[in-house]
Amino acid sequence: MNRKISRRQWLAGSIAAAGAAGLASCKRERPPAPSRVSIVRAPAYDQRLYEAVRRLLEEHQVDVRGRHVVLKPNLVEFEPGSSINTNPLLVHAALEAFRSRGAASIQIAEGPGHRRNTLDLAEAAGYFGIVPRFEELFQDLNLDEVTRVRPSRPFSRLDKLYLPNTALRAGLLVSMPKMKTHHWVGATLSMKNLFGVVPGGVYGWPKNVLHWAGITESIADLHAAFPRQFAIVDGIVGMEGNGPIQGVPKSAGVLVAGADPVAVDATCCRIMRINPYGIGYLKLATGGVEEQISERNIRQLGEKIAAVATPFDLIPEFQALRLDNS
Amino acid sequence: MTIDILAGKQNRDGGWPYVRGASWTEPTVYSVLAMLAAGETERAGRGLKWILRTGRPDGGFAPHPGVEESTWVTALVALVPPERLGAAGHERAIRWLLATTGKESTAIYRLREWLLGNVRPAEDEFAGWPWFPDTAAWVGPTSLAILAMEKENRRRPSEEIARRVGQGRGFLMNRMCREGGWNHGSVRALGYESQPYPETTGMALAALGGVDAPEVRRSVDVARRFLAECRSADALNWLRLGLLAHGGITAGWCRPKAVECRTLPEMSLDMLVGEAQKGRNLLWS
Repeated sequence: MNRKISRRQWLAGSIAAAGAAGLASCKRERPPAPSRVSIVRAPAYDQRLYEAVRRLLEEHQVDVRGRHVVLKPNLVEFEPGSSINTNPLLVHAALEAFRSRGAASIQIAEGPGHRRNTLDLAEAAGYFGIVPRFEELFQDLNLDEVTRVRPSRPFSRLDKLYLPNTALRAGLLVSMPKMKTHHWVGATLSMKNLFGVVPGGVYGWPKNVLHWAGITESIADLHAAFPRQFAIVDGIVGMEGNGPIQGVPKSAGVLVAGADPVAVDATCCRIMRINPYGIGYLKLATGGVEEQISERNIRQLGEKIAAVATPFDLIPEFQALRLDNS
Repeated sequence: MTIDILAGKQNRDGGWPYVRGASWTEPTVYSVLAMLAAGETERAGRGLKWILRTGRPDGGFAPHPGVEESTWVTALVALVPPERLGAAGHERAIRWLLATTGKESTAIYRLREWLLGNVRPAEDEFAGWPWFPDTAAWVGPTSLAILAMEKENRRRPSEEIARRVGQGRGFLMNRMCREGGWNHGSVRALGYESQPYPETTGMALAALGGVDAPEVRRSVDVARRFLAECRSADALNWLRLGLLAHGGITAGWCRPKAVECRTLPEMSLDMLVGEAQKGRNLLWS
């Protein structure tokens, strides 16, 4: 059957392929052992989350004793009750869990891409009501102190990037995205969530510099800029269709977590029934070596992917990413 | 008193932070204007010296001393009266604004698109202003640049400035949401209509002061609706400024008590809007 390839697909494919081929030697050093990724069933935003997150950190033996932990949720829009923003109960559960594991200090930090009034956005998303002393714990990354960083081997056209000190100095940066489809890059998960660390105070709202430098490539650059990460993906209710803002809620009923964001995102893609090898930033981050994010090379803990797989609707431009078609 | 709180937040270097910490250009400009409104000329003077130190060789201003690029904050600096900022610094800021457009409006970009056979989108017909060099124009920086240029044009009428303001206003009209009002500047995403935001609706209306068109009146209605519902100090500041530029704030409106100013720009802008409501508009008069 003749399948038409849209200009978007062609461009995305070409860029990713060229980038991966040309930069295979520049790939970020990957852990020698298979990355471990946990999948935990979480049917609702309720008190059970506290125990679920505690178990996740225990499973990964996350050692944060004496370290400064920064929790980075995804806050995008003022739509209470929608599935756009990371749920505050999950963030509070993570805060409690890291605290109980001996973190020296914990901050919650985010820099939304469109809305300047971050604290108002957090209030509308329910954070003030759920997280005690939220305002004291929170750092608006759009308005944080910045340091100029020069990526040694950039994937994008950016030869330098100003990044917030709160994120750069974190002993552990915990990316806590919502499990969502994305109308430009296919899926937005723990790696894409790092767009929120780029300071609007320097680059504006939106952070358009990343679009001109290449979204896919910028995601890979940001991933490389933060070597000490952990990811906890809010897949309890995600978003399908025209995400990350105008899609519709999709219940997947899971949390996905691990110390390797590339492996975590690849696992989330499989749960969403999206082909991870079709996601440009995953290709770049693995240097185009697909084997690195094969199921064989990711040690799955907890639930099996097949047991929780929930196909997320994709916009027509991304139908080719549907895992069941490949 | 707001002015005492603002005064207490001034850093030793003369600038102001967003909330706490190091000085940034945006909060410093708004705080300086608030200090001038309150007659605190010594504090304002130290703030002005700090602002001048963020000037870049290209004539623009950086958002933070550690940033090596001139950005959208140049429009804010140009809002400071030249007799306070210094005529030379002010003139350089205006020249920088005149020379700056969104990347999509540059001759090189348009030639490239033409060579590639790409049709220019209708919303790119007019040139707005970007947040950061070499990126596209958006509603926020375009609105602020128009306010600064209009202020300069009233002080010293210039056809060049009037033409550029006309371009910027054309950009805003093209980026209006279908129902009226503005978001950051994306009218549609993949064919889906985007919704307006309160803060950018207020900013764009302020920049379109004196423009009477059915679409603008529709946006004024959107702003009045936002004003009744909104609980963000930043958004309420800009909505009030936008409505002041189009006949005034809804009669009987009072700021909800629960709304908190959470940043220094919110606090100082709130004070400046209060002055503007009393007929003393330091932002654009």
